[in-house]
Amino acid sequence: MTDEIREGLKYTKTHEWVKLAGTKAKIGITDHAQHELTDIVFVELPTVGKEIKKGEELCVVESVKSVSEVYAPVSGKITAINKKLDDSPETINSSPYDDGWLVEIEIKDKTEVNTLLDPAEYKKA
Amino acid sequence: MVLRSPLYDTQVKLGATFTEFAGFEMPIQYTSIRDEHMVVRKKVGLFDVTHMSNVWITGPDATKLISLTTVEDAARVEDGKSQYTEILRENGTIIDDTIFMHLGEKYMMIPNAGMNQIITTWLTEQAKKHHLKAKIQDVSRDYVILAIQGPLAKETLQKLTDTDLGNVKFFGCQYVKIAGVDCILSHTGYTGELGYELQITPPSKAAGVFDAIMNAGKDSGIQPIGLGARDTLRLEKAFMLAGNEFEGGRTPLEATLGWTIFWDHEFIGKHALLKQKEQGTFQRMTCLQCTDKGIPRHKCDIQQEGASVGIVTSGTLSPCLNIGIAMGYVAHDKREPGSILDIIVRDKPIKATVIKPPFVPKDWATKQ
Repeated sequence: MTDEIREGLKYTKTHEWVKLAGTKAKIGITDHAQHELTDIVFVELPTVGKEIKKGEELCVVESVKSVSEVYAPVSGKITAINKKLDDSPETINSSPYDDGWLVEIEIKDKTEVNTLLDPAEYKKA
Repeated sequence: MVLRSPLYDTQVKLGATFTEFAGFEMPIQYTSIRDEHMVVRKKVGLFDVTHMSNVWITGPDATKLISLTTVEDAARVEDGKSQYTEILRENGTIIDDTIFMHLGEKYMMIPNAGMNQIITTWLTEQAKKHHLKAKIQDVSRDYVILAIQGPLAKETLQKLTDTDLGNVKFFGCQYVKIAGVDCILSHTGYTGELGYELQITPPSKAAGVFDAIMNAGKDSGIQPIGLGARDTLRLEKAFMLAGNEFEGGRTPLEATLGWTIFWDHEFIGKHALLKQKEQGTFQRMTCLQCTDKGIPRHKCDIQQEGASVGIVTSGTLSPCLNIGIAMGYVAHDKREPGSILDIIVRDKPIKATVIKPPFVPKDWATKQ
């Protein structure tokens, strides 16, 4: 099984991805992470408007046997959540980088983006 | 030290991912838990459960020793029968649950993973204390244990033996040749499906038997199954997992295993149980099916109107029902079937209904 590492995204060592668009960051978990978790059966998303700090628990992704925390790659305010995951958490398995996104954050501190990994760095991590 | 099954190389080739369980590195899954779970409910799956223990009990007082140390009167268990039972401390709490097989002059006991030394020592001490002539041998590392489970288990295994499996009753056990290898076969399992468990010695013969079963089941869609699905399969049937359900010291009465107790004989823990039975107001094992989304897990609190009434010992998403299910201990007066309780998952209550076990009935797959 080869894990896709998509170009044009930023990554964390803890297997989150970040898609930057202006001051907004869309966040999800990587193909590697969804392979490791296998069948994702439940996602607990935060509420829109919540302020979160980099490194804090952003949401919880559960497979049949495991509970995994997803950490905020950057600080900011949550501006959108992927409601579709309430009914179809398996979307993360089938489309980790597109339809399976988790949340969108309004970035508070742009300099934090510099701490994220580019695809080549993530591949080595 | 982490032990590996003699089938480790076979499992690596089959694409297993591994986990450590009770000191063993065992496959947790091959494809995915949900996929493997459904294969066992609908077709047939092959498990390596070598992490379980094997103890021979022999000698003129073997029957007496088992009767003394379990809630079963072993004298009632005929030759060729397997029996599920529990081994108790003097205070009535469960040391381990186990199956023993009556094989002629001998008994083979199957304690849980990692319990071989504890049980061997306990039985040896009790034999000495009560002047019973019995020999207790831990042979756990001399045996590989395979379980073949699912509605197509019988026809798959029948291809590999001259023994008519139609004559082996549920909870029957006997010596058989499978794919030319001498095995002890028991018509038992931990999935709630039709199935068999095989004890194979020496371990070097096991890979051949494993491969032969995989080949024989090819047309039936057989797959190797990991411990992940083993746990979800047993949980849907509300079968106990010793490490979870008996953690912290629980009696068979609390675990609602009263049906396994043969009261009409003397056994270690009996007096404590009689006392508890008379007193009556103890927590009891209870099955809860969630009506809200969310998955209950080990140690989640169970509440009613904000007050704690129990604790979850095992919880998962049920692959068959696609909803959270939990087993746990609940106050004796809060567990009427139909009662609605809250299970607290990450500080939030999830509604769950008390049901009568099992969560998934027999022959569930045929009714889909």
